[in-house]
Amino acid sequence: MITIVDYKMGNLGSVVNMFKKIGMPCKVSGDANEIAQAEKILLPGDGAYNTAMRKLAELGLVEILNQKVLLDKTPLLGICIGHQLIMEGSDEGALPGFGWISGRAHLFKANEQLKVPHMGWNSVEVVSDNPITQNLGIDPRFYFVHSYYVQCSDSKHSLLKTTYGHSFDSGVYRDNIWGVQFHPEKSHKFGMRLLKNFADL
Amino acid sequence: MNLEEFNICSRCIYNSETPGISFDKLNICNYCHQIDDLKYQFKTGSERGKRELQKIIKQIKLDGRNKKYDCVIGVSGGTDSSFLLMKSIEWGLRPLAVHYDNTWNSAIATENIRKVTNKLKVDLFTYVINNKESDDIFRSFFLAGVPEFDAATDMGFSQVLRSTAAKFKIKYILEGHSFMEEGVSPMGKNYFDGKYISDIHAKYGRIKMKTYPLMTFFQFMKWVLIYRQKFIRPLWYIEYSKENAKKILAEETGWQYYNGHHLENRSSGFVHLVYHPQKFKIDNRNWTLSALTRSGALSRENALEIYNTPLKSEPELIEYVKKRLELNDGEYEKIMKGTNRSFKDFKTYKKRFERLRPLFFVLAKANLVPMSFYLKYCFPLK
Amino acid sequence: MIRTRVIPCLQLINDSLVKTTQFKKYNYIGDPINTVRIFNELEVDELCFLDIRASVEKRSPNFKILSEIADECFMPLSYGGGIRDAETARRILEIGFEKVVLNTAALENPSLVSEIATHSGSQSVIGSIDFKKDLFGKYQVWSTDGTIKTKHSAIEWAQELVRLGVGEILLTAMDNDGMWSGYQLDAIEKITTSVSVPVIANGGAGNIGHLIEAVKAGASAVACGSMVVYQAKGMGVLINFLEKKQIENLFS
Repeated sequence: MITIVDYKMGNLGSVVNMFKKIGMPCKVSGDANEIAQAEKILLPGDGAYNTAMRKLAELGLVEILNQKVLLDKTPLLGICIGHQLIMEGSDEGALPGFGWISGRAHLFKANEQLKVPHMGWNSVEVVSDNPITQNLGIDPRFYFVHSYYVQCSDSKHSLLKTTYGHSFDSGVYRDNIWGVQFHPEKSHKFGMRLLKNFADL
Repeated sequence: MNLEEFNICSRCIYNSETPGISFDKLNICNYCHQIDDLKYQFKTGSERGKRELQKIIKQIKLDGRNKKYDCVIGVSGGTDSSFLLMKSIEWGLRPLAVHYDNTWNSAIATENIRKVTNKLKVDLFTYVINNKESDDIFRSFFLAGVPEFDAATDMGFSQVLRSTAAKFKIKYILEGHSFMEEGVSPMGKNYFDGKYISDIHAKYGRIKMKTYPLMTFFQFMKWVLIYRQKFIRPLWYIEYSKENAKKILAEETGWQYYNGHHLENRSSGFVHLVYHPQKFKIDNRNWTLSALTRSGALSRENALEIYNTPLKSEPELIEYVKKRLELNDGEYEKIMKGTNRSFKDFKTYKKRFERLRPLFFVLAKANLVPMSFYLKYCFPLK
Repeated sequence: MIRTRVIPCLQLINDSLVKTTQFKKYNYIGDPINTVRIFNELEVDELCFLDIRASVEKRSPNFKILSEIADECFMPLSYGGGIRDAETARRILEIGFEKVVLNTAALENPSLVSEIATHSGSQSVIGSIDFKKDLFGKYQVWSTDGTIKTKHSAIEWAQELVRLGVGEILLTAMDNDGMWSGYQLDAIEKITTSVSVPVIANGGAGNIGHLIEAVKAGASAVACGSMVVYQAKGMGVLINFLEKKQIENLFS
């Protein structure tokens, strides 16, 4: 059973739908007690960094997530802003992230050729072997929509790389923590495969 | 020995539970005989059959020589109609492809229609019924509890073929039906006519029928007697193997098989995979399997084995049907478990067709109505 | 590298899909839910739905149909038509749409754009501009389903929309709509060089060549209408999309 954290940052419908489609039971919750019971956690989210951290704090979820992830070693997958919250912080806002993986989120610099946000389907390169990146198929691509990109301080935490102007970490991993910048729930069969891999862990 | 005991035809796999069936001394069923009769009539697969067809094709070309198109071919994305389209180009005809879109198509249907019409450079005319009306008619049939859920699609297609042919002043309508491959579906199943549709809609429909192409008896007779459109089924004359056709289509156009007869459209998919098996305990796979057994393409043992394998469950398709028909789980289950009704519980033209049997015999012989229509509609059910 | 997006742009009137020609006449196309299903089966990259009469009829979006559409989709969806306040925008995003498209409402109430962008992020707001070339060659912006002329020029309004916080611009050439004869390339060039956000070219796509032209002119994405709902110009309704290998080779 996967618990999807609902902290009112963007829509969860698509994620729930995709789990339904692949036949994996999931539950949506913004309650600290329910999250404390989670076997696996999905941290989704669309929107601004500071708003996200603030909302998690308001709901009293920061402590329980730290506890589940660092002490209980509950598997957690962060998506989009969730992926960025895993890091230490972002150029977007002053509030610190969870800091479970060292590194930060930086703003893409727009120019003639590079429009910001990075929006559309882009390829990902699997840089380290991992259960959730199995069987993604030839030339896997996913849907991205973000203005800030993540760069790990330590390259061993880099799971997936994508190029937009320059190379950046589109996927990160450490122990029981995964993060992906793109939206698997909007990435057809590629996303379905990745979420299924996470669910099957 | 109890003659009512369960019995399977010795040639095909229709059994004593098949409606309208009877067996001869050799335990061969009347449907097999019907096919044999048709084969004899149309000289299927023989040189004579080929020559007959060539004669018809020549006439089609002659009658259509100053027009943009000389014939109309109904396409659904399925094997038969796609193959027929291909052959018609080979024979030098200039067809207009016509499709009736009930708004329940799957991507395989639309893709196959696209690939085949584009590769063969054939123009496509589509008639799309208003989606809400389409759902209302489906819903009415579902609430009525009768097996002919998809009747409106079949009849709508017929009406659209005829009215399109009339619009472009085309006399010939080519159909991809093959009695060798498909058989004639047993009587008592799949009855449909315009009155049946309008009666069910009158009793259960919620919105007015404005865009549905309803073929009333009057309209039907107008097509047959005044417009005198001719229905030609080329595959009744020539050697036709569906397996072969699929291969050729795939090679030549990139066409794809959709893993089941009539499953290119979600409504007929629902009928064959869910509605008939679960509510009426009818498994229609015996049509195609019997046809394959008769033609020798499949052994009777293999056919029976396939037939005895249960159908997979289709939860997604069921969810889709509930969504389109605006039924909640409870309402859906109630109908599925409820009484089974038949066309006999509603107003139809059946008695009228039976009374006019001699007329329709003549019309069938003149190719003005399909022979299969005559066989199915003009005889009272046992 | 990032693939150029090819986005079917579908028009809704009441509960049915239609296709307009030059924003005036329209043909009935079919069922929105089934059409989305087909595009999903074809693994299309992204879909845009526009309820084109909502502003004229002063209606709100049909949330029921939007939920049913969002249920079917595993690719990004955007919706526009009758979004006049932030609450409606929020509801649509929650239903499962990635982005909301603002046209008339942005012209009538520009602060709405900032409000939605601040709460949900710029990437969830598309600023939609319908334009026509006037006698002096200026690209004039029209509102309310192309029925009311505004005093804005497309370039200036695009820049203002970006300043207000949109993440993308949907640029529709009204005269090219449904005509199969290609996009308005000089408009695309002028607008894409004036803003830093991605611009989606819309209106006029008839074949693959047109899509390539639009990208060369600076569009980050290309939208198609008639091309994806008809077999060919003047022919019957047939939901279709480019084949995978056609797209792959398209913009490389």
